Amino acid sequence: MTATGTRPPAGLPGTPSRPARAGRAGAPRRPSARRRRSRWIGLGFAAPGLLLYGYVVLVPLLQSVQYSFFRWDGVTQAVWVGFDNYTRFLTDPELRSTFGHVLVLVAFFSVLPIALGLLSAALLTRTRLPGMAAFRWIYFLPQVMTSIVIALVFKRIYAPEGPLNEALRAVGLGSLARSWLGDFTWALPALGLIGTWAGFGFCMVLFISGASSIPPELYEAARMDGAGPVREFFAVTLPGLRGQLAVALTLTITGALRTFDLVWITTRGGPGTSTLTPAVALYRAAFQNPQVGQAAAIGVVMALLCLLIALTITRLSEKD
Amino acid sequence: MKEHRARLVLGTTAVLSLLAVAGCTPGGSSTTDDSSTAAVSDDVAAAGDVTLRLSDFWGSAEGEWIDAMIEQFEAEYPNVTIDRTTEDWGQLTSTLNLQLQDPDGPDIASANNGWQSLGTLARGNLVRNLDDYAELYGWDDEVPTTIARQNQFTTDFTTIGSGSWFATPLARGSLIGLYYNVEKLDALGLEPPQTLDDLEAAAAAAADAGEIPFAYGSVDGGTAVLLGVQAMLADKDALNDFIYDDPGVTAADTSLTEAATTIKSWADSGWFTPSYEGIDYQTAVANFLDGQGVFRFEYTGSLGLSGDQLNQFGYVQLAQDSGETVGVGAAPGAMVISSSCEHPDVAAAFLDHLMSAEGSQTAVDMGLVPMLNTDVTLPDDALSLQGEATATQTLDADDGYVPYIDWASPTLLDTITQNMQLLYAGKVTPQQLTDAVEADRTAFLEELGQDS
Repeated sequence: MTATGTRPPAGLPGTPSRPARAGRAGAPRRPSARRRRSRWIGLGFAAPGLLLYGYVVLVPLLQSVQYSFFRWDGVTQAVWVGFDNYTRFLTDPELRSTFGHVLVLVAFFSVLPIALGLLSAALLTRTRLPGMAAFRWIYFLPQVMTSIVIALVFKRIYAPEGPLNEALRAVGLGSLARSWLGDFTWALPALGLIGTWAGFGFCMVLFISGASSIPPELYEAARMDGAGPVREFFAVTLPGLRGQLAVALTLTITGALRTFDLVWITTRGGPGTSTLTPAVALYRAAFQNPQVGQAAAIGVVMALLCLLIALTITRLSEKD
Repeated sequence: MKEHRARLVLGTTAVLSLLAVAGCTPGGSSTTDDSSTAAVSDDVAAAGDVTLRLSDFWGSAEGEWIDAMIEQFEAEYPNVTIDRTTEDWGQLTSTLNLQLQDPDGPDIASANNGWQSLGTLARGNLVRNLDDYAELYGWDDEVPTTIARQNQFTTDFTTIGSGSWFATPLARGSLIGLYYNVEKLDALGLEPPQTLDDLEAAAAAAADAGEIPFAYGSVDGGTAVLLGVQAMLADKDALNDFIYDDPGVTAADTSLTEAATTIKSWADSGWFTPSYEGIDYQTAVANFLDGQGVFRFEYTGSLGLSGDQLNQFGYVQLAQDSGETVGVGAAPGAMVISSSCEHPDVAAAFLDHLMSAEGSQTAVDMGLVPMLNTDVTLPDDALSLQGEATATQTLDADDGYVPYIDWASPTLLDTITQNMQLLYAGKVTPQQLTDAVEADRTAFLEELGQDS
């Protein structure tokens, strides 16, 4: 349900508008029969995909919207409650707290990996060291591991007798050792750092590939004008990476918004509700407690937020 | 052009959503009339060739138990075939409402007790009212009232714990009680405790000797300790009535505050595993089996004891101060018959078989805790199993079962878990924990009232 959140902007425009435009444009200009036929053939090839997409994405999406206006246990007759599920999501202290947690996670899942990614990309593209491919490979590795494995590994690392606390004790910082995932103050940042680690490599690889497509003449020109490494970064590299930044921002922010697996495996939203995210609240409502309407409302809000974020970022990055 | 497209998309979406929303109300499609006028029968052999589909969530020893029960039943009635499908617990409980609406869905299934699953299924008319079979097979006389209630709802579905049978228990059970490490208790020169006072004295002695009194971890929950202590303090009837939707009984009447105070004092005394707030359930269990910790409150079966371990750990159901024994206990699943089952007579006969003395003996033979039938032959060399079986015998005799408190509302388990973590961190008092439980349940009772 949550994964579909980012999809509509990509899929929706194509589906309904294309046949309409084709018809309208066809009348006055009278394209040749061959061109018209090839257009229909193209649509014919796309049709199975479009139908499938409509059935598995659009129909459930609309159903979710419908369910979100009912109080429904998934079995008995649903009761129309209007926007109650939405107002509850925004007013219930426990559900509302999930927004604050998501903001913290955005810092760890998006801001930090992108900053680190930019820094490492700047360093790695400026100097050509032997074995660079190995660095990239190491940093990219978390990206190809499933989040379940990453969560389980970090659960061990953060354990009271785990490597992190052992290391702290070994260097004489034993007073800093704590139950990271059971601590009201530290559980959320600890979760966030897992996301930073997992997302950083992706951002770095994205930025390195983007930077390599920046024409070398620009750098030469900058250097001739007497720009140092910092100036060069802000004047050449950063503007050249606008497209990649948009992609990275969209993916990491929506990723932070959708965080479920990391939390579910490590803390289940605890201690207390200090790491509860909207996706975990959605899962609880949909599958643990019979509150399908509430779950749908959470899902719709998340989908809208994802859509809004994606549109805003695209708009900003395309603006000159 | 782009703007135009965006507007078109928005417009289409809005129109489609409106159509969908205005279309129909979800759910409530089942109009099956439950007034089955046909007489019920226990003559399974006369039913002809019958195949029943069974969905359940049991694996390992529990799965072997149900396989054995099917084998016994099929041997007795060669005309019956039972086709078993097994899914994991979360998978089955979250999809059972869909499975039972499917014409090709299961005829018999294991549901979760309480409002979260069984109550919803009964209210949605997806499972059969079993009153006629209860009469035919005499379940009202054979099953202890406190266990029978766990499967009953009033037919207006505003109350759990009385009314009609919508599910049946099993000849084996699941309890919350105290496990102890035999070797460590011997080394401390202590006898297994019998009351809460005994336990606290033993825990103090263990702590003095440098042992961890209670193996515990709370990072992902771990409510057995609270529920176990509550059962030693609470008035049995009050606790039953609280869980069974009697609005006259509040959380404060169930000794929840006292239980929370007790475990908080244990935590503050350092009687739990160090850094327990960062230890998860699996690790806590592993620690205990590994010899770290003298005691552990746990659900029977969850330690997965086998072989030598059956003698390395013992089990006791601590008595209340009055000498009476009260314990949290239930069948590890509620067996339901689908409303659309074409052979309910055969299905009911199978459920009756699952409650039989033969079923209890089969359970014991497989190292599982028997329930409903007291005359089982226990193995000589399985200390924990003997303790568990003794506990069910006492609870059967005292009619001392209380259900899991989280059945009182679908969200109560989450509420309790969260508030226990807040309690340990000193962020709420025992009184506030009780208030949170009360508020959760009151909200749900109001919701039930609205539905009626």
